[in-house]
Amino acid sequence: MDVFLQLTLNGLTLGSVYALIALGYSLVYGILKLLNFAHGDVFTVGAFVGFGALQLLGGVAHPAVPIWLLLVLITLAAMAVCAVLGVAIERFAYRPLRDAPRIAPLISALGVSFFLAYSLQLLFGADQRDYDAFNLGSGVLFMTGFTIPGTEVRVPLLRIVVILCAFALMVVLWLLVTRTKTGKAMTATSIDREAAAMMGINVDRVIVFAFVLGSALAGAAGVLFGLRAPFYPSLGFLVGLKGFTAAVIGGIGSIPGAMAGGLILGFAEAYTQGYVSTRWSDLIVFVILVTFMLFRPQGLFGKADIKKV
Amino acid sequence: MADRVLELQGVTMAFGGLTVVDALDLHVERGEIVSVIGPNGAGKTTLFNLVTGVYRPSAGDIRFEGSSIVGLEPHAITQRGIARTFQTLRLFLNMTVRENVMAAAYGHTQAGVIRSMLRTPGMRREERAIRALAEERLGFFGERLVGYRWDQPAYSLSYANRRRLEIARATATNPRLLLLDEPAAGMNPNETLEMAELIGKLRDVGGYTILVIEHDMHVVEGISDRVVALDHGVKIAEGTFEQVATDPKVVEAYLGTGAMARKAL
Amino acid sequence: MSDERDDTQPTGPALGKDEWVARFGANRVRRSGALGVLEQRLATVSWWAWLTLFVAVIAALPLGIESGYVRRVAFDTVVLMLLALGLNIVVGWGGLLDLGFVAFYGVGAYAYALLASDHSGIHLPSILLIPLVAVIGALAGWLVGLPSRRLLGDYLAIVTLFFFQIFLTVTNNGDNVFGASITNGPNGLLNIDPLSFFGWTIPRSTSEGLFNVAYIYVALAFFGVVYVALRFVNESRTGRAWRSLREDPLAAEMMGMPVNRLKLLAFAFGAGVAALTGTFASALNGSVFPQNFEFPLLITVYTIVILGGQGSQVGVVLGAVIVSVLLEVLRDANDARSLFYVALVLGLYGAFRASTRLVVVLGGTIVLGFVLRTVAGAIDGSWTAGTAEDAGRAAHLAAEWVIVPLEPARWLAPAAYLVLVTLVLGLTLVGGRLRLAALVPTLYLAAFVWENVLLAKPEATRYIVIGVILVGLMIVRPNGLLGEKRVEIV
Ligand SMILES: Nc1ncnc2c1ncn2[C@@H]1O[C@H](COP(=O)(O)OP(=O)(O)O)[C@@H](O)[C@H]1O
Ligand SMILES: [Mg+2]
Repeated sequence: MDVFLQLTLNGLTLGSVYALIALGYSLVYGILKLLNFAHGDVFTVGAFVGFGALQLLGGVAHPAVPIWLLLVLITLAAMAVCAVLGVAIERFAYRPLRDAPRIAPLISALGVSFFLAYSLQLLFGADQRDYDAFNLGSGVLFMTGFTIPGTEVRVPLLRIVVILCAFALMVVLWLLVTRTKTGKAMTATSIDREAAAMMGINVDRVIVFAFVLGSALAGAAGVLFGLRAPFYPSLGFLVGLKGFTAAVIGGIGSIPGAMAGGLILGFAEAYTQGYVSTRWSDLIVFVILVTFMLFRPQGLFGKADIKKV
Repeated sequence: MADRVLELQGVTMAFGGLTVVDALDLHVERGEIVSVIGPNGAGKTTLFNLVTGVYRPSAGDIRFEGSSIVGLEPHAITQRGIARTFQTLRLFLNMTVRENVMAAAYGHTQAGVIRSMLRTPGMRREERAIRALAEERLGFFGERLVGYRWDQPAYSLSYANRRRLEIARATATNPRLLLLDEPAAGMNPNETLEMAELIGKLRDVGGYTILVIEHDMHVVEGISDRVVALDHGVKIAEGTFEQVATDPKVVEAYLGTGAMARKAL
Repeated sequence: MSDERDDTQPTGPALGKDEWVARFGANRVRRSGALGVLEQRLATVSWWAWLTLFVAVIAALPLGIESGYVRRVAFDTVVLMLLALGLNIVVGWGGLLDLGFVAFYGVGAYAYALLASDHSGIHLPSILLIPLVAVIGALAGWLVGLPSRRLLGDYLAIVTLFFFQIFLTVTNNGDNVFGASITNGPNGLLNIDPLSFFGWTIPRSTSEGLFNVAYIYVALAFFGVVYVALRFVNESRTGRAWRSLREDPLAAEMMGMPVNRLKLLAFAFGAGVAALTGTFASALNGSVFPQNFEFPLLITVYTIVILGGQGSQVGVVLGAVIVSVLLEVLRDANDARSLFYVALVLGLYGAFRASTRLVVVLGGTIVLGFVLRTVAGAIDGSWTAGTAEDAGRAAHLAAEWVIVPLEPARWLAPAAYLVLVTLVLGLTLVGGRLRLAALVPTLYLAAFVWENVLLAKPEATRYIVIGVILVGLMIVRPNGLLGEKRVEIV
């Protein structure tokens, strides 16, 4: 029972990070019908920006501000930089190809992904980095926390922070998409871009908005990831892959789908690692993906589409 | 009972809540030219999409030469003997005119990849036959698609010639039933007239049974053995051109859409 | 509705203008004079004559050169050519985005290694094994393509990319599958048999320990056979069907072509070619490691296919040669430096031709360089005291013009790089005078970054260049060097 609880907790933490990334894929896919392969690398950039911001603020050893503020600041920095990066990617790599064959922006996206990953390697080296969060404030993120009553499972503060932060961001996103004008325009555009344009919606602006939101979430995910695990320039490939697998499982283009998909993936991975082997968790996720492709290609929350002639 | 090529029984198609074709009965006899008319959005193209298997009807049955084709994949339906053209032209624009037609012979030819790699005598014989077929089908258009244009990419063709090439391509699948979706759309009066003659020739010389969607009432009048009028997915009239054109329901349907009304009456 | 369609086709004629077609052939620009005659003569030389010539040239290359390095590069180039031919089937003809392509190459290499090495104890003769592996690869491709039944671009991309990851997971962790070592994990499989035909083994290296040219010939032979076979397929009914479905899958389906089956066929076929290539690569190297089949190789092959022009066999072969040479040149700081300046000048010439603007920009950049360097040197001597990467004569020259700090501050490299990227992107947004004016400092900054940042890390630089080429090509010239003109139907 303890093991199960512990694994569930792991899955929840991992899944909430995947969900943040999956949201970025879904937002962009919903509107542009484009798989933004560079999204995983935007996530990595987020992790590195957070790392840089941490150093600028005095590093783990001598932070210039209180720890909670430090965390908020590095997350915001990563979100801001990634948002700008996302907009730039859309403007320079995708927008010129909007009327090109469908395969064109996908290939362009591959190029961008590659460019970002190797630019990071150029600037920071290929080695692993980590935030060294363990030593932050003499270990407050790890030492404090609580034990789930009746079990031996401890929930350190860091996990609470990661999970709460991820869910808070998702709630904010949900509000932005459902309550604001641009958000509603976004929903309309994702249903029918041409019709939306005819109704006076500025589609370009909506697309930029989607990239801003998605990339900012990826940036935040980068920091949340970096707080718990080491990262390196080519990490975006794998994490990005998980992110859009989550999006596909949930139903690509659907926001609740992305959240659900992320959590499912997180749990699947955690349980496999706990009960089977850490080595084969990717394989299990792949099997889940293929199963979905075969039996429910539109995902959990997606709708089967009818082609128009 | 005469030789029924195509028969639709109670065919219904709904997209979400919108019923686009509603309990439609329709039949085409061998050697007939049947025209489908109706205002824009009446469901005519959808009817073609149903027959060719792009959509699967929500209800009803579609029979081709006696057996049901509902649920078959589109290429299988084509291989059975139904070919179509598209209202919005869909040529293989970067392939040559000849290749466009040759490609459509795929369904009734055999040579596989291995034989093609080895260029076996049988494969080469078949290639020659496909080539000859393509040239014959293109030759049907006389002057219009003559020899020197056969090696030009399809995108170099004029609009009217693209429509002709679409028909040539469809005939290369060796169909018995041809579905033509607004074959004269976008053509000038001369070309329209020529197209009307061509459709007659396709039936008389080519031996195809033809179901055609057409807006130009002169064309419809000139070619049709029978006319079917659709509105909002429902058959509102059927019969000779005179019967249909004077049917009050048809007149009303067209009066709703200004420009067409003037053309129709 | 139909009237608006006339202008969707900019290169095409206006409605009804049939004469335009008649003049189509005459519309093409012909060179005059001797060059023109030569061009016309060359155009009549048949494709197999070109192919023979090309193969002969590559075959002759390593003969005179007793350099193992050159021979290695020649071999790797042929491998890239084959991979590009394979990917061209999938992407260029089938129009499918296969992101697992390199994994099939790996499947081939591993299959060969497992069926002809001491590791498994099996030693199949090459003549049997090579076709067998090609079939295994094609089968693997077929299986991977199967789940995304409709092979819609995005689903296929996801499944294949994930398959790629699984391939890496399996090869990396295959040293312990329920205790048994299948792939030997990251340590790879060693002692793989060299090729042997009819009991006659082709040694990997000559008696002097030099790279055995025979392997280049084997690879070339495979290349020739695959090239011709694919050309034949492309001219067959299957090839036409592939091109049709790439142009318009729905129309292809309606014309009686089983689109899904054809796509799966293209996909499996490409995988088969990749696996085939894996066999002799494995035989030559004598070992396989998971690291040989990673993401950078995939992007490289994609860049080749896009550069050469999707769909054009000649194009992707030339693309392979160009990219292969480019990657080698970028390995060496001196060559890379020359390449950079030559490319820069040629690029400017291409943009401006011989005009005053060319003189202004070039001259301006040169002057700016000397001025900045003098000023910087006067402020702080250490800023110009550094030595350019890989001290040679060119390096000395470069360091006379570009600022090369002795010990650059840690922030300098990232800052300069980011500013450069921003400037270059910004340049694409502005026009006229402003662009011309901004070009000068951008060029100088580019030289600065090249000398100080990029040359120092050739590994990253090589792939950054590849990534930039890929994105740039997609936007500026999506048809590549020799690709067919594509008109998209919506
Ligand atoms: N795939 C589809 N999804 C939803 N509605 C469709 C679809 N295809 C056609 N329709 C609708 O069906 C109606 C009939 O269309 P169509 O058959 O193209 O008319 P027409 O008679 O002009 O050819 C239109 O209102 C159109 O919007
Ligand atoms: Mg229509």
